[in-house]
Amino acid sequence: MAGLELLSDQGYRIDGRRAGELRKIQARMGVFAQADGSAYIEQGNTKALAVVYGPHEIRGSRSRALPDRALVNCQYSSATFSTGERKRRPHGDRKSCEMGLQLRQTFEAAILTQLHPRSQIDIYVQVLQADGGTYAACVNAATLAVMDAGIPMRDFVCACSAGFVDGTALADLSHVEEAAGGPQLALALLPASGQIALLEMDARLHEDHLEQVLEAAAQAARDVHTLLDRVVRQHVREASILLGD
Amino acid sequence: MLQKREKVLLLRTFQGRTLRIVREHYLRPSVPCHSPLCPQPAACRNDGKLLSAEVTHYVIPDWKVVQDYLEILEFPELQGVIFMQTACQAVQHQRGWRQYNKLRNLLRDARHDCVLFANEFQQHCYVPREKGESMEKWQTRSIYNAAVWYYHHCLDRMPIVMVTEDEEAVQQYGSETEGVFVISFKNYLDNFWPDLKAAHELCDSILQSRRERESENQESHGKEYPEHLPLEVLEAGIKSGRYIQGTLNVNKHRAQIEAFVRLQGASSKDSGLVSDILIHGMKARNRSIHGDVVVVELLPKNEWKGRTAALCENESEDKALGDAPSEPMPTGRVVGILQKNWRDYVVTFPSKEEIQCQGRNAQKVLATPWDYRIPKIRISTQQAEALQDFRVVVRIDSWESTSVYPNGHFVRVLGRIGDLEGEIATILVENSISVIPFSEAQMCKMPVNTPENPWKVSPQEEQVRKDLRSTHLVFSIDPKGCEDVDDALSVRTLNNGNLELGVHIADVTHFVAPNSYIDIEARTRATTYYLADRRYDMLPSILSADLCSLLGGVDRYAVSVMWELDKSSYEIQKVWYGRTIIRSAYKLCYEAAQELLEGNFSVVDDIPEFKDMDLESRQAKLEELVWALGKLTDIARHVRAKRDCCGALELEGVEVRIQLDEKKNIHDLIPKQPLEVHETVAECMILANHWVAKKIWESFPHQALLRQHPPPHQEFFSELRECAKAKGFFIDTRSNKTLADSLDKANDPNDPVVNRLLRSMATQAMSNALYFSTGSCAEEEFHHYGLALDKYTHFTSPIRRYSDIVVHRLLMAAISKDKEMEITENLFSNKDLEELCRHINNRNRAAQHSQKQSTELFQCTYFKDKGPEMEERCIADGVIYSIRTNGVLVFIPRFGIKGAAYLKNKDGLVISCGPDSRSEWKPGSLHRFQNKITSTTTGGESTTLQLFDHVTVRISVQALRCHSDTIRLEIISNKPYVTPNTERPQQSSIVLKSELVKEVTRSVEEAQLAQEVRAKALQEECEEYCQTKGRSLYTLLEEIRDLALLDVSDSCGA
Repeated sequence: MAGLELLSDQGYRIDGRRAGELRKIQARMGVFAQADGSAYIEQGNTKALAVVYGPHEIRGSRSRALPDRALVNCQYSSATFSTGERKRRPHGDRKSCEMGLQLRQTFEAAILTQLHPRSQIDIYVQVLQADGGTYAACVNAATLAVMDAGIPMRDFVCACSAGFVDGTALADLSHVEEAAGGPQLALALLPASGQIALLEMDARLHEDHLEQVLEAAAQAARDVHTLLDRVVRQHVREASILLGD
Repeated sequence: MLQKREKVLLLRTFQGRTLRIVREHYLRPSVPCHSPLCPQPAACRNDGKLLSAEVTHYVIPDWKVVQDYLEILEFPELQGVIFMQTACQAVQHQRGWRQYNKLRNLLRDARHDCVLFANEFQQHCYVPREKGESMEKWQTRSIYNAAVWYYHHCLDRMPIVMVTEDEEAVQQYGSETEGVFVISFKNYLDNFWPDLKAAHELCDSILQSRRERESENQESHGKEYPEHLPLEVLEAGIKSGRYIQGTLNVNKHRAQIEAFVRLQGASSKDSGLVSDILIHGMKARNRSIHGDVVVVELLPKNEWKGRTAALCENESEDKALGDAPSEPMPTGRVVGILQKNWRDYVVTFPSKEEIQCQGRNAQKVLATPWDYRIPKIRISTQQAEALQDFRVVVRIDSWESTSVYPNGHFVRVLGRIGDLEGEIATILVENSISVIPFSEAQMCKMPVNTPENPWKVSPQEEQVRKDLRSTHLVFSIDPKGCEDVDDALSVRTLNNGNLELGVHIADVTHFVAPNSYIDIEARTRATTYYLADRRYDMLPSILSADLCSLLGGVDRYAVSVMWELDKSSYEIQKVWYGRTIIRSAYKLCYEAAQELLEGNFSVVDDIPEFKDMDLESRQAKLEELVWALGKLTDIARHVRAKRDCCGALELEGVEVRIQLDEKKNIHDLIPKQPLEVHETVAECMILANHWVAKKIWESFPHQALLRQHPPPHQEFFSELRECAKAKGFFIDTRSNKTLADSLDKANDPNDPVVNRLLRSMATQAMSNALYFSTGSCAEEEFHHYGLALDKYTHFTSPIRRYSDIVVHRLLMAAISKDKEMEITENLFSNKDLEELCRHINNRNRAAQHSQKQSTELFQCTYFKDKGPEMEERCIADGVIYSIRTNGVLVFIPRFGIKGAAYLKNKDGLVISCGPDSRSEWKPGSLHRFQNKITSTTTGGESTTLQLFDHVTVRISVQALRCHSDTIRLEIISNKPYVTPNTERPQQSSIVLKSELVKEVTRSVEEAQLAQEVRAKALQEECEEYCQTKGRSLYTLLEEIRDLALLDVSDSCGA
């Protein structure tokens, strides 16, 4: 009964987008000179920073080294000022651990790890402002950072979230839409092959609707890919000018 | 491309801290403007509803106007209304969902010329709120800004009027832009709609009630009711089981004191409560009104109260009834209202003397609603005196905790009190039935069939439909004089010796396209409404009585179901569904069909189709027809027998009879023992409905419309069992079959009324049959208890039921699905269908109530007009069927009236019957036992009345100003009534109802003889009524079954 009208009869969402439209995406690669690779992305008001080190030798105990492929190590954190209420988020809480594991799964599927046996790749992601779709923003930022580091990948990994309201699938949920409590699906896609790197949903959704929501998320991820591709090409063009070719 | 903006909101949290929220806001270059003047329709993507091109100006209401005067904007006369998104959001955030939904429905409704313009998402219309600017000012500014943009967008071709309540805005913007006028709402109505009187009156009354409310808020004296709890607390409480959610149901006979909350859904299981919760008194009811969804807190056990078993009249509100109430039941108080179900109410203003009594504030008048269950409503009006002889429609605005009664405003006048038209209008409004005549826009889409321009079967249709005109002998069986024939039958032998049975239903969906004007209208009406003396059709008469009606000798489109049956066992081997063209050969009436069946050919001369034939061909044709009828009867017997042995019961056939006696308006149609041919037709229809239900469910398991009849609660049968025990019968209610069997056995050979009463009690205990969407129910719940079928739907009367139209579309889609063709029909999704089912169920209930109420109205008028010379007509034989502490409930078989008769009057005197069995009022006391009641006078004489005793009662009518008249019963003797003239009652009891209606109609006519035209119209209505009676018998049976399944508990008088 109570609550906001997420999708009006005219087909507008609260922030004025239509069901399939993404938020504004802006991204930059190579923001830190120190790291091997880095990237910054804004998806609407969700802002994330990703830094990549490696591949390098295994740090810490050598027993973790894998004989046939590289170890992907992901860490997620979010800034104290990232949400409306200021809140300290210590490292290693359940939420960030889970997010770290999800990122790791995603990138193990995308990076050609078998090219670097017995080595380690570190991906650090920090969310500076959270306004819904943090996982998607993290994956997109990390993809750009991994590319910036020059680590070979199968393909881009593009992620996007999708929700379901009144029989319509909504792409790229904002915080308000997430907070309304409907089902929310996060999808990481390898766009060229159409393979799914990660798919996650933790609410009830009728089986009949799953396909529709999945298609909305996949379409959104493909749209994200077009944008990221443009960013990468732009970055390469700038870099090559600097090299003086 | 979208442009991104940011909106910063500062919110206060519960702890009192401020929270800074940043939200994105995307703007786009073009949003749909819905104007036919749009220069770039492609860019605007104007799909869907457009504003009318014929308006002289567009009107844009300010947010405050939308909030307060939405009712006026709902007038269909106001055209070219553009609602700005800003205004709609103001309604949503500040006025709640109820009003917002009203606005949404208005925008969706194709009949209203209004659109929504999403100004906040348009890059040129959006104006960010400035620092220090108040919300109100910003909303007005942004609406004005959008209005100016809209004006220029339409290339300055259409003047725009912005109506606002803000004086400053009028001054500031009034002359800023040429072509965009800013005026106040009152001013607008005065200048543009000087003739729209209803709108002016409504506007005044809204204005006045608002002023009153404001001034009252400033006074704010002591609280009458505790405040409602906030929604979060309620929801948390419901989840934790501390509070209980349910629908408030006010006891009609003790509206001031007793109300019950019927539990909803899961909460009843959790709390372990079986019965309803009693809400005792107005204070505990805490401003909730009948029908609201409320949240209840249970009181501690020592405060529980029992329901009163004594009979009582509404006016006597003295609680000193003296006798102790029955055992305590769960009692609670309302702590919050989840959903208010306020509708339009019919009220009566107090007469002059009463107004003076109320004194103090002459402008505020307490009006009494027609419905007993609604509390009095405080109306501020100056017209109270002028309106005191009228029935008036009002709406409730608010109910503050400081006020004893709710505040409302006056909407319109219906008619004089006691005037037949006024009273009928009252019944319609009270049941929320709106039956404006079909508009021109709706009618112009209809096909024509005039002698100059006859309607013909089109060649395209001929190709896609199966042509049965030459191959099948199709005939219809209906009551005499029926015009709207929606079903026809056929039977023939196939080449392989098997039989083919066909049921052909009028193809209404061919003429009624989905979402056309006529479809929308039919959907809102949902059913044809039959009142005692008139009817309101769901479809225009060109369809219902002509093109869709399967008349004899003309080509008609039909939807057919045809079964191939084994030649000997009549097992169904194949079934075919599809669209056909038929030509009905005979339009038989039931009586003629029965005669033919019995081999009595004397009726042949009455059948018009046989008249012009020569003797030989006539003989051959006749034999063919008689064979078909005989076969049909055989098949029906078989199908019936199969249903019976599958555990089916003959409950409905019997119930028809009961209800016939109660609903006398059909008494003259169906004799007590229906002809076999009635059952044959009904059985074929049930078979068709059942097979169609199976088909659409298989094709669309989640979005088919079916009809369920849930099994009744066992505890509701307790009264029936008790009663039967008094007569020495045992009623086994464990299953539908045992119930039917034991009811058959419970027959007193000396007194047939006993069996009828027991059956009617069984009927009362049952729940309603309902439409539902298969996606929202588990498959076990599809069962139809009354018919003992696992799946059932309504398919056979699309002319008078919208549900059947939906089922027809589903069936057509299922057929195209089978052929792997594209489904052209746009079907309802489960959610929409569920919503639609709720609407149709609701409308059906309204139709039944209005029919009942109109019958009562006629009954009252009938008895009221009887002078003393006709006194003996008002004396009748009655049977006691229930015993209460201060009286008995009596059923009068002759008139089918049930009512209460008191044994103790207001002065405390009890009834006593002397040796001559004449009753008198004497001082004394009453003693109630299990199945008898004894009155003992102080003189020592005692009279005992037992269950099922026959007594003589006098029927009188109590005229009430504010409510409908009611029938009074008075016991005048404890012996059965001996009719002075033995011949009359049998005869009169059969034709009584139609006679009654006619008589009443005639007296009304006489009263209005001066206006001759008017009288003529009534004559026509009377004729129309005769035609109404001519509905096909099957539809009648169907209707009666619905009636039988209706909860009639409130008609039993206690």
